[in-house]
Amino acid sequence: MIKKFWQKPAVFRRAEFLSARDLLQRALGISVLFLLAHLAGLCEFTSVLNGTVGSTAVNVKLGTFLAAVYILLYLAFVILVPVLVLAALILMVWQRCVRKEENFPGPRT
Amino acid sequence: MKSRMKKILAGLAALVVAASIWLPCLHLLFARPLSDFRQDQSLSPKARQLAARHLQLWTDPALREQELQKMRASNAEWDFMGRSYLVWSLANMALRDPASKPLYLQTMDQIIDETLRLEKQEGMYFFLMPYAKERHYLVQPAHSLFLDSEIALMLAARRVVEEKPEYKPLLTGRVNAMVERFQKSPQMLLESYPDECWMFDHCVALDALKMADYLDGSDHSALIRDWIAMAKQKLVHRDSGLLVSSFTTDGTPLAGPEGSSIWMVAHSLQLLDEDFARDQYRRARKELGEITLGFGYAHEWPASWKGEANIDSGPIIPGFEISAGSSGMAFIGASTFDDDKFLASLAATLDFAGFPSRTHGRLKYCASNQVGDAALLYAATLGPLWQKVKTGARP
Repeated sequence: MIKKFWQKPAVFRRAEFLSARDLLQRALGISVLFLLAHLAGLCEFTSVLNGTVGSTAVNVKLGTFLAAVYILLYLAFVILVPVLVLAALILMVWQRCVRKEENFPGPRT
Repeated sequence: MKSRMKKILAGLAALVVAASIWLPCLHLLFARPLSDFRQDQSLSPKARQLAARHLQLWTDPALREQELQKMRASNAEWDFMGRSYLVWSLANMALRDPASKPLYLQTMDQIIDETLRLEKQEGMYFFLMPYAKERHYLVQPAHSLFLDSEIALMLAARRVVEEKPEYKPLLTGRVNAMVERFQKSPQMLLESYPDECWMFDHCVALDALKMADYLDGSDHSALIRDWIAMAKQKLVHRDSGLLVSSFTTDGTPLAGPEGSSIWMVAHSLQLLDEDFARDQYRRARKELGEITLGFGYAHEWPASWKGEANIDSGPIIPGFEISAGSSGMAFIGASTFDDDKFLASLAATLDFAGFPSRTHGRLKYCASNQVGDAALLYAATLGPLWQKVKTGARP
């Protein structure tokens, strides 16, 4: 019972590379990282895109680094996450079709 | 091993298919009806939200100081231009929304008075970049057309909305000083920085003259006509047909055509020479404007001109060669010439990559700054001020 309790939930278990679960895990990971960056207020630093410092409280180099982190995570969230989720769905549908085909090899003659 | 490779290939194929479905659809996530950004008669929701943020800056000195410090750390000009664009926006907003006119006029007066006080107290260099002090202005006493033109247009815009007698001599003085310098200059080119003249500033100055004519019955039409004729002849980049951005007092181009300048220049010209303005916009749209996968953006230079990223262009995003400065100013061009398709695609990009932040009905774009947001507000509200002056009915 105790062993079962400490077992990793399925979502955290290591999945096969580029399998549907692997893609969904990556999508989840990116989403969590972006959420953390957003909640930490890194969005404010993106003003470096127009050449303005994001905050006078940190130096320009750190501000630029934080902006780059936020922008990359944001782009990953809006571009990559939907692609990963869609790809996972496509794989799941495809695998289901293949499985069906294997279970029903065709009409007997 | 074979089965594993097959699974990886299946995963990669799924990713390719998914990307080819998602990427063309991405813009739909950010596309809004154009009326969300600009409306013909009244104020759009975005204009109201952007304006609320700017009005907050002018009622909360600590917040304003914080914003201005961030911009002045990069460019003191932005502090000044943020004021100009906000005053010009508020003038258009007051004409669109007469019920809110008293609030808008009060803010316009506050901005104008504080700007004039700072200019008097700190000198013109307060709003200029440090290199203005590195050389002497050729024409003495030193004046910057950058400051004179925008201050004159602020005063004129305020008076077009509603007359304020105290501002009449201030506008007349500023206009007369510019006219005198135009007349004394052999090429009709005035410095904004030492031996450095800007197309943007000249067009804004001529707008101010035109508005002074409308307000006070003066007549500078000959000067305006001669200047435009000179510009068509000497200040057009041959390959693109676009007006160059900057030049020396003898008319030698310094920079070529630039997106951070030409969109506003085309807008300014609309008040002076509609056909020429439309021609410049059409060329800028062809040479600089792009729409990719539903997202609009603009380059800083046409393909026929090689330039270096600078404070006006902002960082250039490689690959697509997107200039934040040019893309932001493209809103003004597209809005002026009712290029709805381009304007809607620019607005989609703004919501995609501008990082909008809304709190209590106030909107700011994190990837922008106060001057950028003020220019966007201007693009969302422009129209009535030019229209009123063009129709010519005396106030």
